[in-house]
Amino acid sequence: MSAASQPATSARRRWIDAIATVDRRLIFLVIGAGVAIPLLFPLGLPVGVSREATAYHEAIEALAPGDIVIFAFDYEPDVMAEVDPMSYATLSRIFAKGVRVVALADYAGGVGIALRILGETARESGRQYGSDYVFLGYNPDYTATMLRMGESIRQTFPTDHYGTPTGELALMREVDNYAGVDLLVSISGSALAEYWVIFAGGKFGQKVIAGNTAIQAVLIYPYFQTGQLSGFLGGLKGAAEYEQLIGRRGLGLRGMDAQSVAHLLIVCFIVLGNVGYFTARARRRGEAGGMGRGHVG
Amino acid sequence: MWADLGMWAAAILTIAIFSLLYRDNPFYRAAEHLLVGVSAGYYVVNYFQASVLRKFVFPVFRQGELWLVPGGILGLLVLLRLSRRTQWISRYAIAFYVAAWSGYLIPAIIQERILTQIVGTVPPAPWTVAPMAFLGALVLFVGVVSILVYFYFSAPQTGALKQVSQIGITFLMVGFGASFGYTVMGRVSLLIGRFQFLLQDVPAAVLGR
Repeated sequence: MSAASQPATSARRRWIDAIATVDRRLIFLVIGAGVAIPLLFPLGLPVGVSREATAYHEAIEALAPGDIVIFAFDYEPDVMAEVDPMSYATLSRIFAKGVRVVALADYAGGVGIALRILGETARESGRQYGSDYVFLGYNPDYTATMLRMGESIRQTFPTDHYGTPTGELALMREVDNYAGVDLLVSISGSALAEYWVIFAGGKFGQKVIAGNTAIQAVLIYPYFQTGQLSGFLGGLKGAAEYEQLIGRRGLGLRGMDAQSVAHLLIVCFIVLGNVGYFTARARRRGEAGGMGRGHVG
Repeated sequence: MWADLGMWAAAILTIAIFSLLYRDNPFYRAAEHLLVGVSAGYYVVNYFQASVLRKFVFPVFRQGELWLVPGGILGLLVLLRLSRRTQWISRYAIAFYVAAWSGYLIPAIIQERILTQIVGTVPPAPWTVAPMAFLGALVLFVGVVSILVYFYFSAPQTGALKQVSQIGITFLMVGFGASFGYTVMGRVSLLIGRFQFLLQDVPAAVLGR
């Protein structure tokens, strides 16, 4: 090796060492900046719409004023950031169409979320509690709840969340099982959408659409492929797609720039990490080979 | 006023939790313990209200629905697990629950998760669908079959079996990759949610919306 090439080689080694031993707090900082800056200064990156989001949209658009939808808040605060935008967008659209909503929460932690979102979206559209929408609250054991609702919703929920007997609510006098329900929407942070497909869809022939966290979306695809699920949204991206379809700039679309930039940065870090790893490994092998040859020689 | 107070508490607790990214510290610990304590309290009250009061106490003692009493007794039997001498009695309640749950769950799961999925895996006749749809169905079919071959352990994985199972591994890797990608997306979305709260909701509240 010439004397001139030695400094260049050592500089490259320093770079590789720096990549391989980068402080994880620096990565957090870069990702944080990558998320914060696009939120403060939107880039307006395009959002493509998937087939499953289009199917979700079409299922809702097929509803007529006066139709009845069961809306299940199947998530808790830990995944609110991902699926709240779906609930807001879907309920806004449903209420704007004059469709009536029977809402429930399949997790105890979903009750507060349901009260907030139902209240806000119903107020926006001027919908009345009792005749345009009801909130049945939380009922323990979601599989038993789903099955029993196929026989009688009023027996499954003798009272609504506020303690009013369900038989006294105008909307609940019109519907008592899936036969009177035109669409079931499950916004879910777990496998609950799957259970709606199995029990309400499979056993009672109820048409089901779902909004899921990104992690669950992979598990939901097979049900969409077979037609057991009529449409679904996957993660914040799915929410943004639906907002795009209904022309509403909500939390989903506003978060997409940050999502794209963060993904780009993560890809860069993965590439850099691999470059550092493979280069360091090649160097170690080279040094081991050199030592081996030296020993033999 | 209470809403603003709640927002400030949420903002301070969010920052306290984020502080772990720098290093472990008392603010993070305090926020973590608060989360655990509040969650436990919230769920205990909710479950008690929804299960014990609404499903048992009110119907039995206010409406006289005595047919619920045997179920209530079975529920109480579960509590006997707390003592070593009586824990065997709780098995009756658990056995009843497992039997009932299996009875209504197994047939439905087999039908919807297995049989319907098998039907959905078989490719349609090529002349009945668009070429790309048929190609997609074919890829799906090859993927499912090759992965099943990979998990076939009753014969040595040699020759043709090995070749097919190698294809299965490739499909599995693609599946894991997609799963990982979605997981990253989900985690970033949660971060975005907190940043939206800190950078947009809190300033909007401070500046009077």
